[in-house]
Amino acid sequence: MKKLLLASTVLALMATPALAADIKVGTILGFTGPIESLTPDMAASAELAFKEVNDSGLLLGGQKIVSVRGDSTCIDSAAATAVAEKQVTSDNIAAIVGADCSGVTGAIANNVAVPNGVPMISPSATSPGLTTIKDNGFFFRTSPSDARQGEVLASVLKSRGIMNVAVTYTNNDYGKGLAESFGNAFKAIGGKISISSAHEDGKADYSAEVGTLSASGAKHLAVFGYLDQGGKGIIQASLDTDAFENFILTDGMIGDALIKAIGKDLNGAFGTLPGSDSGGARAFQSMASKAGINKDGPYTGSSYDSGALIALAIQAAGSADRAAIQSKLMMVGNAPGEKILPGELAKGLEILKRGGDIDYVGATNVEFSPIGEVFGTYKEVEVKGGKFETIKVH
Amino acid sequence: MSNTLRATLSFTTMAILFVIVGYAQSWSVALVIFNLCLISSVMALGVNIQWGYAGLFNVGTMGFAALGGMATVLVSKAPIPESWAAGGSDLMIAALVAVLTIASIIFAYSRTPKGTIRNIIITIFLIVGFVLFRPFFDPAVAAIEAVNPANAGYLGGLGLPILLSWVIGGLFAAGAAWIVGKISLGLRSDYLAIATLGIAEIIIAIIKNEDWLTRGVKNVAALPRPVPYEIDLQHSEKFIGWVEWLNQSTLAAVSDADRPAIISKLVIEHSGIFVKLCYSGLFIIVLAFVFFLSVRALNSPWGRMMRAIRDNETAANAMGKNITRRHLQVFIIGSAVVGIAGAMLTTLDGQLTPGSYQPLRYTFLIWVMVIVGGSGNNLGAILGGFLIWFFWIEAEPVGVWLIDFATSWMDGSNPVRLHLMNTAQHMRLFTMGVLLLLVMRFNPGGILPEAAIRPKRQK
Amino acid sequence: MTSDILNAFVLLANFIIIPSIAYGSQLALGALGITLVYAVLRFANFAHGDTMAFGTMSTVLITWWFQSLGINFGPLPTALLAMPFAILITIAAVLFTDRTVYKFYRSKRSSPSIFVIASIGVMFVMNGLVRFIIGPNDQNFADGERFIIKARAFKKMTGLNEGLAIKVSQGLTVIIAIILVIALFWFLNRTRSGKAMRAYSDNEDLALLSGIDPERVVMLTWIITAALITIAGTLYGLDKSFKPFTYFQLLLPFFAAAIVGGIGQPVGAIVGGFVIAFSEVTITYAYRKFAMYMGPDGWQPDSLLQLLSTDYKFAVSFIILVVVLLVRPTGIVKGKVV
Repeated sequence: MKKLLLASTVLALMATPALAADIKVGTILGFTGPIESLTPDMAASAELAFKEVNDSGLLLGGQKIVSVRGDSTCIDSAAATAVAEKQVTSDNIAAIVGADCSGVTGAIANNVAVPNGVPMISPSATSPGLTTIKDNGFFFRTSPSDARQGEVLASVLKSRGIMNVAVTYTNNDYGKGLAESFGNAFKAIGGKISISSAHEDGKADYSAEVGTLSASGAKHLAVFGYLDQGGKGIIQASLDTDAFENFILTDGMIGDALIKAIGKDLNGAFGTLPGSDSGGARAFQSMASKAGINKDGPYTGSSYDSGALIALAIQAAGSADRAAIQSKLMMVGNAPGEKILPGELAKGLEILKRGGDIDYVGATNVEFSPIGEVFGTYKEVEVKGGKFETIKVH
Repeated sequence: MSNTLRATLSFTTMAILFVIVGYAQSWSVALVIFNLCLISSVMALGVNIQWGYAGLFNVGTMGFAALGGMATVLVSKAPIPESWAAGGSDLMIAALVAVLTIASIIFAYSRTPKGTIRNIIITIFLIVGFVLFRPFFDPAVAAIEAVNPANAGYLGGLGLPILLSWVIGGLFAAGAAWIVGKISLGLRSDYLAIATLGIAEIIIAIIKNEDWLTRGVKNVAALPRPVPYEIDLQHSEKFIGWVEWLNQSTLAAVSDADRPAIISKLVIEHSGIFVKLCYSGLFIIVLAFVFFLSVRALNSPWGRMMRAIRDNETAANAMGKNITRRHLQVFIIGSAVVGIAGAMLTTLDGQLTPGSYQPLRYTFLIWVMVIVGGSGNNLGAILGGFLIWFFWIEAEPVGVWLIDFATSWMDGSNPVRLHLMNTAQHMRLFTMGVLLLLVMRFNPGGILPEAAIRPKRQK
Repeated sequence: MTSDILNAFVLLANFIIIPSIAYGSQLALGALGITLVYAVLRFANFAHGDTMAFGTMSTVLITWWFQSLGINFGPLPTALLAMPFAILITIAAVLFTDRTVYKFYRSKRSSPSIFVIASIGVMFVMNGLVRFIIGPNDQNFADGERFIIKARAFKKMTGLNEGLAIKVSQGLTVIIAIILVIALFWFLNRTRSGKAMRAYSDNEDLALLSGIDPERVVMLTWIITAALITIAGTLYGLDKSFKPFTYFQLLLPFFAAAIVGGIGQPVGAIVGGFVIAFSEVTITYAYRKFAMYMGPDGWQPDSLLQLLSTDYKFAVSFIILVVVLLVRPTGIVKGKVV
């Protein structure tokens, strides 16, 4: 069972004496669970934004943001809701950066954030289902919905001349949602899905799945899974039996851990993940590398953006009141206004202090739709020479 | 120490613990834990009925809880006309084929003598049934799942009030228990354990993969509630007035400028607590009802007979009691209770997440509750539910705090310390295991052991 | 023509036969441990999976230590060298558990359910302990050569369309499993202690009357089980990778294999292991390509020709278990118990 982890609450308490003027922001991500190898970097990215704001000393006349970490477990809604409840009612956080996985994000939003009026920005929940939740304007996301990733991936395949694929997806709402969105988009442009089947994470042996996938006749395998779970197991088994040598990956699979585990056989694999190579993205990447964060990890940029947006909204609102923060998020994230990139948070705080308007662009080209979603851009990446390289931005 | 005294002491201690959490953390958190404790107690009661009355070792509670959850969706969500139009009729035909096949198999089973011929006939029926079933089932499912897959992709429910689903969940679980019981109840206890564990996995696999039923792993969110929504309360004049009245003294001390902000904060806080208390009320009613029935049953001639069978099966058999039938009754009742608890849990969550049904959390933890609380004792099961769940949740922050305290003399980046901090949560599992073993060894009856019908003979 | 049939055969071999043999051997070794404990100690040991994780964890830690010292085993995995030491550690752990937990209930002649609940407690403890010591993440500890023969090399050698791959870990699993089974059967049938174990398992009271020392029998059972567990877990970890959660998940297939084969009978455990492994793969395999090879040229069936979708792969073991319980509860090789 996935558990609550509040280790960093203690770390945060240890690090600096908690002043009465500290503003607490919850960072609720799945520190245990299917993407536990990705979440530390995501949390560190959000906290990087907080540190930048704290170091400038410009937030509300010198107040500091303290990150309160909580474990969403990614799969246990009851546990995630309990963590969020504790942070909202006991730790009195002003806003939430989280959660990471779509199922628990919906649970936290519906059961805790919206009823208590706490603004919530998710850096990585991509399920199309979250577009239609009743959130009274309190739920935002800096990662685009998978409805779009499916379309982007389909067009990437078409541009590479690949019209027949086998699909394997992890058996949860992320995998299934992405498989469906991709399936519909690919078929609409004339592609053929020879087989689309689920795999369970944490299982002993994937030879049955791989055998069936390969028997479908396709030469390319799209893996919509997690890089330290079943997705890796499937790629491993495929390479071992020579069922497939061409792999198509998406955000949950893209990370250094996969290259380390598979090795040079992964060269030539390509895929999509939310992100861009704009000036803002590159600025964030150099900041991240300096801070020891893996800059190519998925969702690090969007996590930084989530943290930055909250900080800027606090400044714009002039207080750490939850409703006030919520009312300003749209304004600081959208045009018009002075464009703010990663590393320029001090500048943004200064402008807001003087009563001006900013348009936070950040690492992921933030621009909120009226319901708090982002259209987003996707990077097409390919594994070359043992590293993920960005080919193009869509 | 007599049982009554023990019971009073234990429950008072629990109450004090909750109050401590309420002050130290918040009342909302205390209520969240309290509500989950109530649900766990109902589950523990269900398991205790099977174990305490009949010595049945059911390790498949996860499956029955999931069936209860499924019932909430099938009862309370509105039906989706497009899906019914797309695949409804084909699905009905497929269902008819399935029913006919099963009926013919049962017919053949009862009419033909045991032997190879019977097996061959049954196999033929199975194959024919399967071959006829697929051409109706597959396209129906594909059509239903193609209707707006991102937000629907299933048949929907009946659109009835969600409280009804608690009863229906119990019925689903009872039905499944009947099937499971028929298959595995003649077996020895640990055999039964494995069989029930396997069947629970099958049930979960079906719920996860049959999207047309309950959307599978895409989850069904935003289930209707039996209690008011916090947002509605926050906008209701009556509620706001009531909060103001409740907090007169606090508000009197506040300046006029600050008043609206403070009121708004209080209203939000109170709305959350009010909603949770409503849930608590509902759950307590169910718990009391189930408890009352269990105690009545236990102290009835039927209950005495069940326990006598449990204590000496050979004698009971010799007396001509149909043990398997009695066991089946108990099995069904206990599973129905677990099903009701499963429906309650999904109602509280507001969404059905099949992926969250893990054996450790739903099955093994419940067993720890029953054993530690008091096996064979209904009040003990309730106590176990409260105690173990409370510690399961609170062990997390407390354990982390303990480790931090114990290693505070180490430097912040010491790898040992970091490793310990990161893995502190696993101590939770370890402690549960040690607790279970200690209780079983030194206090096998549990904290509130079973009240003996007559002096217990050494097993 | 013949190349088509050869291709079809190689296809089956690569995707069904070889993986099933390897997986079946792994299941068989695990089921053997379960069946032994069941036969002699008369309860279903729910802690089996997590004890396996413990044993493998010991191997992993010692392997890492060896690797850091520069010791290696050439083309074979270093873990093989570490295994004997890990076995000793696991034996100690298992005997300790028996002494502190199970011995008490044996003396009280408790019912099997009590033993099972106690084993659930042990399961929790082992579970937490393993994650606490080594963490819950995936750990890779395999080194040495990965393949005996690679699929591409095979294709080049034979000129066929389909390749056949055999991994070193698969080969090792089968060879070691065969050795272990032979050794176990020799022990059970040819040595005094082995016969004592079988006697104790068949009829405890009579065995005691013959002067057999029950504590010695129990100790031997645990020692053998610990060795089997560690070896099975290590071979599995070499083939895939070590992740504590997976070992807990393996518990159910182990039980299914033991029961289907006939619990309490070592031969049954082996048969059961292979039955489960083969069924999981064959029932969910898509036979389209195979049909294309075997059928007339150019025939391309529309559907995948799959009996059951791989979504239900995990449930296959249980469906088989349930069918066996209905039709022949004593298992394939008539085991104990009904």
